[in-house]
Amino acid sequence: MQNKKQFNFVKHFKIASIVYGAILVVGVILTIIFGVELDINFKGGTRFTYSYTGEIDVAEAQGVIEDVLKQSVTVSESSSISGDEKNLVVSLVADSSVSAAAQEEITAALKEKYPDQAVALLDSNSVSATVAGGFFAKSIFAVVLASLLVILYVGIRFRKIGGVSAGVTALVALVFDIITAFFSCVVFRLQIDTNFMAVVLTILGYSLNDTIVIYDRIRENKRLYPALSTEELVNTSVNQVKARTINTAVMTFLAVATVVVVSEFFGLTTLRSFAIPMAVGIVSGCYSTLCLSAPLWVRWRNYSDPRKKAKAAKA
Amino acid sequence: MKTKKTGKPVFFIVAILIFALTYLAFFGLDNYYGDNRIVYTKGASDIRWGIDISGGVEAVFSPDKEVSSISDEDMAAAKEIIETRLVNNNITDSEVYTDKANKQVIVRFPWQAGESEFDPAAAVQELGETALLTFCEGTTQDKVILQGAQDIERASAGIDENGQYIVQLELTQAGTSKFAEATARLQKQTISIWMDDTMISAPTVNEVITGGTASITGMADAEEANDLANKINAGSLPFALTVDDSKLQIISPTLGSNALNIMVIAGAIAFGIICILMILKYRLPGVVASISLLGQVAGSVACISGFFPNIPSFTLTIPGIAGIILSIGMGVDANIISAERIKEEFAKGRTIDGAISAGYQNSFTSVLDGNVTVVIVSLVLMGAFGTPDSLIAKIFSPVMSLFSSSITGSIYSFGYTLLIGVIFNFIMGVTASRLMLKSISRFKVFRKPWLYGGAKHAE
Repeated sequence: MQNKKQFNFVKHFKIASIVYGAILVVGVILTIIFGVELDINFKGGTRFTYSYTGEIDVAEAQGVIEDVLKQSVTVSESSSISGDEKNLVVSLVADSSVSAAAQEEITAALKEKYPDQAVALLDSNSVSATVAGGFFAKSIFAVVLASLLVILYVGIRFRKIGGVSAGVTALVALVFDIITAFFSCVVFRLQIDTNFMAVVLTILGYSLNDTIVIYDRIRENKRLYPALSTEELVNTSVNQVKARTINTAVMTFLAVATVVVVSEFFGLTTLRSFAIPMAVGIVSGCYSTLCLSAPLWVRWRNYSDPRKKAKAAKA
Repeated sequence: MKTKKTGKPVFFIVAILIFALTYLAFFGLDNYYGDNRIVYTKGASDIRWGIDISGGVEAVFSPDKEVSSISDEDMAAAKEIIETRLVNNNITDSEVYTDKANKQVIVRFPWQAGESEFDPAAAVQELGETALLTFCEGTTQDKVILQGAQDIERASAGIDENGQYIVQLELTQAGTSKFAEATARLQKQTISIWMDDTMISAPTVNEVITGGTASITGMADAEEANDLANKINAGSLPFALTVDDSKLQIISPTLGSNALNIMVIAGAIAFGIICILMILKYRLPGVVASISLLGQVAGSVACISGFFPNIPSFTLTIPGIAGIILSIGMGVDANIISAERIKEEFAKGRTIDGAISAGYQNSFTSVLDGNVTVVIVSLVLMGAFGTPDSLIAKIFSPVMSLFSSSITGSIYSFGYTLLIGVIFNFIMGVTASRLMLKSISRFKVFRKPWLYGGAKHAE
């Protein structure tokens, strides 16, 4: 079965894991340097409402305020029901000690930038996080529960090839993909908001599906060619599904990239925090499936099978 | 392998059904009588979009009573109940802030789709209601028998033996004994049932009720019964909240006013690119895959807009769109896996019919397993972040009750759109694709292995 044209993924596992380690190390260092920005929904903060007349460009106002405060803020526009009064709502993550000073700075900056628009502070609310503290605990628990159920399902469906090991190595790839997507937020200075949770979950779905397609092929080849060694079996299978994995990744990546390009073209920058980690996650998913989870599974199998272990030691 | 052949017309039937569904799901079916729009089926324009996409309403709620008596716990409870009420109305996108210093609750939620006469004041007023259900002696609220969550376990809408819509109540242990005592004492007298200050029913006691159940009759229709049951289940606010009308705001979309148009354009271009790539790469299976993908998207849209009368409409937000994108990705993948398999079968020297049959057969298990794992994930999410009395939430309640209930509509909507997307993936990506390809392959013009990814000069 093994032929020259096949790429030996199992053999190159060492290189793949070095790449993985490097990404991890660089990512952690960058996270420490840049820090993580959580949005107001997660941390609570302050909301200032300003009334104004005439026209104010929301994106421009946001830029002005961010320059003064050296921190990211969210600015939205609203109007009273009757429609004759216009407001800007500025939300920022801040504790109460910061907000009094921030308020003065924002007010001054807006008045200076828009002298003719009669900017006036209407209201100030210090708000607690909309997403309760229990949210993170529950999210993590939900993900763990879902993972256990997935391992259980994979364990039953793939029992012929040692289901639990397959399930666990699938999760290793998954964790890698989520971490990579998280690093992309750090690198691109994107705020972590509820959209990021959606991205994490999307990547979770893609990554699991990717890995399962490979295990499905391993399961099938195990039945067709029982004599193959674990390594040959995995290499053959990975090479067979390689075209599919890459094609799917290319198409989904292009679709997400299109969304980014089109929305940036029209000046819609708010989709970035959603689309960039998603695109990174898709690339990472393709890599981790081919180069990490399946080769890792070979190691696990060889390790847990003493007969093969002896053989591997001899070789 | 001798299987029953798929008839030639099947391709056209399936394709036409998909195109029809697509047209209806996107454009709906409506008619104008003068200025009145009569909607027969809802289209994509009836989707309720999230605040980020279409803007919405912001309201500041202040308590009626003295603020000093309100604790932080009361504020947290108020926030949770308002969130539950929003999700009960399928408004899965909302921001509910609490300002503990001023004892205010700030609520932002999106516009109702397509409603030009939407009255924000009325919608908001409902959110601030205490919604305290009480059972009282006689027709005044002086002597309370049963009250709120301490006596009433849960409510559900139902139909009684006469075919009338009712709300059935299950009482708590304390409620059961109080109700048994009261019904024994008040034979042939009136017990009135109140929602806040409104009497909704005043039945006469005919028997002693010891079973721990009670029912509210006189509901006009299923919707009214459902609404009342939801309201009771969501719980009552620890204090009434009123809205300062002068602070009621209309929020412009945070993504910008033309965000929706841009996203529709971006989505259409992305979809077009996927179709072109699939057709270039996989030829005939690519064409078939494009049609079935269209069907999958249409199906998802239909389940969100309220196209199907029994599936209520749903607020679509960025996470919801993420769920659709993931399911489309899964759909693309299912089609690619099958197309690659067909190609492989050709390489093994099979005939057209053999290759198509074997290709779909071999790809099925991986598509199945991939999709089932994603379904598991989506169900857990819906259970963890949906309303506590939805069916899925009940399955997971033994474990999830360990955590403080946090309803996060956005995550719930991700689970929802993902689940329906995957279901449509089975209908479209697996079944419809196979039927169409098998059927179209019977036409003489299409009997060339090249069209399926086989060698150009074979046969």
